[in-house]
Amino acid sequence: MADETVDKTEETAGAEEETAAEAIAEETAVTAAEAPAEGAGTEVPVVAETAFEGEEPAISEAAVAAPAKEVVAITPDVSFVRDIIKGGGVDLKKCYQCATCSVVCNVTPNESPFPRKEMMWAQWGLKDKLVGDPDVWLCHQCSDCVAQCPRGAKPGRVMQTIAKMSIPSLSKPGFLAKGIGNPSSLILMVAIPVLILLAVIARFGHLTNPERGEVVNGVPVHPGEIVYGSFLGHWPIVIVFSTFFVLSIIIFALGVRNYWGMMKKHVQEEGNDVSGSGMSQVGPVIGEIASHKKFGKCDETKDRKISHLFIFYAFGLLFAATIISTILTDFPLLWGGEGSLSPYPTISLVKLFGYTGAIAGAVGIGLIIINRIKHQEKIGIGSYFDWLLISVVLVIMITGIGSVAFRKFDVGVVAYPIYFVHLSSVLFLFIFAPFSKMSHMVYRATAMVFAKTVGRDTPM
Amino acid sequence: MADPKLGVYICSDCGIGEALDTEKLENIAKNQYRIEVVKTVPFLCSQEGAQVIRDDINNEGVNKIVIAACSPRVNSDTFDFDPAQYITERVNVREHIVWSQLPAAVEEEPAQEAGTEAPAEASGDEAAAAAPAEAAPETAEEPAEAAKPAVNENTQEMAEDHLRMGIVRAQKSEPPEPVIEAVERTVLVIGGGAAGLTSALESAKAGYKAILAEKEAVLGGWAGKMYKILPDKPPFEDVKTPDIDEKIAAVQSHENITVLMEAHIDSIAGTPGQYDATISHNGSTETHRVGSVVMAIGWKPYDAGKLEHLGYGKFKNVVTNVEVEEMAAANNGTISKPSDGQQAKRVAFLQCAGQRDPEHLPYCSSVCCMTSLKQALYVTESDPDASAFIVYKDMRTPGLYENFYKAAQNNPGVMLTKGEIVSITEDATGNIILEIDNTILGEKVRIEADMLVLATGMVTNMLPEGAEKVTDLTPEYVGQWKETETQDGIIKEVIADPVVLNLAYRQGPELPYLKYGFPDSHFVCFPYETRRTGIYAAGAVRAPMTAMQSANDGVGAALKAIQCVELTSRGQSVHPRSGDESFPEINFTNCTQCRRCTVECPFGVLDEDEKGTPKTNTSRCRRCGTCMGACPQRIISFKNYSVDMIASQMKAIKVPEEDSKPRIVALICENDAYPALDIAGLNKIQTNPFYRFITMRCLGGTNLVWIADALSAGIEGFLLIGCRYDDDYQCHFVKGSKAASERLGKVQETLSRLMLEAERVTQVQLAMNEWDQLPKIMNDFAEQLKGFGPNPFKGF
Repeated sequence: MADETVDKTEETAGAEEETAAEAIAEETAVTAAEAPAEGAGTEVPVVAETAFEGEEPAISEAAVAAPAKEVVAITPDVSFVRDIIKGGGVDLKKCYQCATCSVVCNVTPNESPFPRKEMMWAQWGLKDKLVGDPDVWLCHQCSDCVAQCPRGAKPGRVMQTIAKMSIPSLSKPGFLAKGIGNPSSLILMVAIPVLILLAVIARFGHLTNPERGEVVNGVPVHPGEIVYGSFLGHWPIVIVFSTFFVLSIIIFALGVRNYWGMMKKHVQEEGNDVSGSGMSQVGPVIGEIASHKKFGKCDETKDRKISHLFIFYAFGLLFAATIISTILTDFPLLWGGEGSLSPYPTISLVKLFGYTGAIAGAVGIGLIIINRIKHQEKIGIGSYFDWLLISVVLVIMITGIGSVAFRKFDVGVVAYPIYFVHLSSVLFLFIFAPFSKMSHMVYRATAMVFAKTVGRDTPM
Repeated sequence: MADPKLGVYICSDCGIGEALDTEKLENIAKNQYRIEVVKTVPFLCSQEGAQVIRDDINNEGVNKIVIAACSPRVNSDTFDFDPAQYITERVNVREHIVWSQLPAAVEEEPAQEAGTEAPAEASGDEAAAAAPAEAAPETAEEPAEAAKPAVNENTQEMAEDHLRMGIVRAQKSEPPEPVIEAVERTVLVIGGGAAGLTSALESAKAGYKAILAEKEAVLGGWAGKMYKILPDKPPFEDVKTPDIDEKIAAVQSHENITVLMEAHIDSIAGTPGQYDATISHNGSTETHRVGSVVMAIGWKPYDAGKLEHLGYGKFKNVVTNVEVEEMAAANNGTISKPSDGQQAKRVAFLQCAGQRDPEHLPYCSSVCCMTSLKQALYVTESDPDASAFIVYKDMRTPGLYENFYKAAQNNPGVMLTKGEIVSITEDATGNIILEIDNTILGEKVRIEADMLVLATGMVTNMLPEGAEKVTDLTPEYVGQWKETETQDGIIKEVIADPVVLNLAYRQGPELPYLKYGFPDSHFVCFPYETRRTGIYAAGAVRAPMTAMQSANDGVGAALKAIQCVELTSRGQSVHPRSGDESFPEINFTNCTQCRRCTVECPFGVLDEDEKGTPKTNTSRCRRCGTCMGACPQRIISFKNYSVDMIASQMKAIKVPEEDSKPRIVALICENDAYPALDIAGLNKIQTNPFYRFITMRCLGGTNLVWIADALSAGIEGFLLIGCRYDDDYQCHFVKGSKAASERLGKVQETLSRLMLEAERVTQVQLAMNEWDQLPKIMNDFAEQLKGFGPNPFKGF
């Protein structure tokens, strides 16, 4: 029996060397051609990026190349297990694979469901399996499994930890992801947007003694009132924020390409093929996200659907307001205007979007915090990773509303610092979107598109 | 015993008075059996009721008391007349008859009967005892004639026959005279491991003397060879340093314990209380008188040489769990590869190696999962980056060892998966490549490890070194087949090899085993018992177990060993007829030296001389009566249990001429069938009214002569209701019901001589919890008999 196996392995290895090379070449080409629009044009060799940062892929050649479901060589890695435990999956090892989690999960596909298999992989430290696993991001963190796990292994937490740990290999540079996931480097991370803004304001604005009133097109408006534009003008803001926004989009685009390639490789290893680019599934996924259908399937945390919807649409409104105002104010040529429309009257689309968004955001984030506290006994209050994003959003919403309020009430001593905090927190969100929990909006969406593309969709 | 004088007492409560015509019952005793003292007493189990009997004992000289009332399994404390002076015969008219037959007046007013009777009686004996207290005055006030027409004829006849049989049984019984012999209050403990040390220590603490014989030069057994041992105290989470040395010191310093090192048991002769153990050690041989024996000789690892298919012996880096333990003990916990001596960083463990495998050990050793978890901790403790992969069929960590499993599982370096080995190979560098299928990972996987540890199992030391496969042992003893010519023809039997005990017993030098070499005992009901009274097994010799469980076993076996000596000193039986003072007596003048009794005794009680004459060894006897059933000459009997007694009971049954009233005899064993009938009665399950129950100590006591007697007297059929036998037996006497079934095989001849159908005699196996099947079993058999037509001997 033993000899037979050896023979087979050698044979497979020999025969598949070619195939492997072919597969890699083909894959690269396919990915380049068919990657989602954001990533088009950037040539990144996908296959080389399989493992977590700085690690060589541990899957042996024979196994990689094996087209059918043959033998998979696994290399258990204790340090990876330790990392997951340290990273938040503290109860990972308690799992005894009873599969209660996969049974209670309402968002998992029926075929090879999560999170049981991920728990098993994680226990064995099989990082190559986990990093390109779409299911890690398909998990919506309902925590049904956390509440039902008979052993208290908290599979949802482990899934989140794995997702978090996969970010450095998706969003580059990876050290930023590692830094954002680590509480001890919080100050350093916060310092980045703060220092950038301080430098910009010191150079282009009025850091210590902001002027009151504003002159628009040579006409003084709001004389003697608090005008944030005089603290820091539009152009520096536009330049700074746009730069980081575009950077984030690029990072995301590369990350999506990367992730798509990994997922595809996994599917091919299983002996299946991925047909189509996935573009056709983008529409349905957007529909699903817009309606928050999947959230509605959670049992333990049904109320998350409402709170997340608030936040989701708040961001949409605020984003729309920002875009519209940028176009109207800073790029009048685009719309054929002659100059900035700012300041906008209170009843204007920009302000309407802004105010509604801010209120919706504040309500949403408030609900999220309340829900978490309400559910903490059953499913835990959440991780640092969660709370960092919650805090940032909370700060953005509070300081946003505060900035408006204190400007109206003309309390300069408070208004300017609050506005500064607001700008810093928004910049923080922009810079770290691809690295923080914010990245779930892109990677979960990518995983959902992929799942639909390979027919691994959740029955709705 | 003074002149026998019977007294018959009929209780009229618990529904008995309503269902039966007690006056007619009284008349049977008075007229048919000429008994003077016959009384119907309401609420007989009350103080006043029992006092009626006591008064008759004191004033009338009654010494054989027949009580027609409830089951002897209840109210035994009320009717506890000294068995050395009085015969007490309990006729179970309540559970076996009144409660399981049609109630009185069922045809006239069934609804009312069911409504009024059931609630009071269904709740058991306490309620039953209480309810009649209220009902008693009413019963007394009602005129007797009013109840009479309501009595069901079949029920009445059943009660009458049972009363007759009870009276006959009492007539034929004499109080036993116990055999009192001097006993030696010393326990011989064989084996100085966790079980043996504990047994010796506990015996000594209880005031007995102990002799501890150990074959090796050091005490402690396996428990002394471990690097770490499994937890033995709550919370059962962490391994601990072996502490057997404390126990060794306690044993060595105890004044009542004699330790014999490098000892060999040359022979053990005699009977419980009076064993002579000849033990050689240090070049000298001495004979010690001991009362009982604890055999704690432990286990040996399964021969890994037979596991070449798992790489053992073929690849250097494949070792057994025992070898890893030795390695860890020698190197302070470090596990290194045998091939190059480098520390092993990836150690794979394969559970159930040669276990739960019909080709090797078919059983689970129940310890290896914990052992592998423990050894996995050695791997990760000596190097935090090292990992241990455990591949299991099922992770089995019984009882609180679940906590140990949980704790070990929590270690990041301990990785577990279910799986089946597809192949084990070695690469050029000596690494072991495992290919596993059916893993929880859902695919065939290959793991590379520095070394592989096979979790091999435990084999009892009842089997000699190099014994054949445990699945292919000679029956009951390790030995050689031998054909002997006897008066019954050629008999093929196993001549047992001596292994440890060297018993001077007719049935062989060792304890019989049931499966895989483990000594035969009922593992749930009486774990330490063996089939040799006075010899108790403790620890892994009787079932695979951990050191902690072995130590607990040692305590239990010591208790049993002491109990046996104490009971023997009073001439009483041990379990299951604890306290019984009767014993089989043989009328040697008619003995034909056929050896059936010496062969069939499940406990090896009888020795025999050269001619084959049996020699009784009373204190070895469990009083089941299997010898009585085996004897074709019918010369073995107890003072209160004999072939004649039961034959007379059958003759007492009145067989009516009508074919619509067949009579069927059911022999019921007192340990399972009898209580099953009681439970059926408690649940008011109606049984067939044509049966007549005769209680047996064990079906093993069934003598074929009864069948001929009964059938020729017009009894339609013979149903033996006994315990389950064979591998998962429930027989309290191990082989009794099996012996009966073998004997029944021979009854065909008798039946054909009588021109009767062989199926008229049938044995069924029934466990106590299968009481609900009784009506069906009984009705089916009755139907079958009906199909045969009436017994042609009826009416002769």
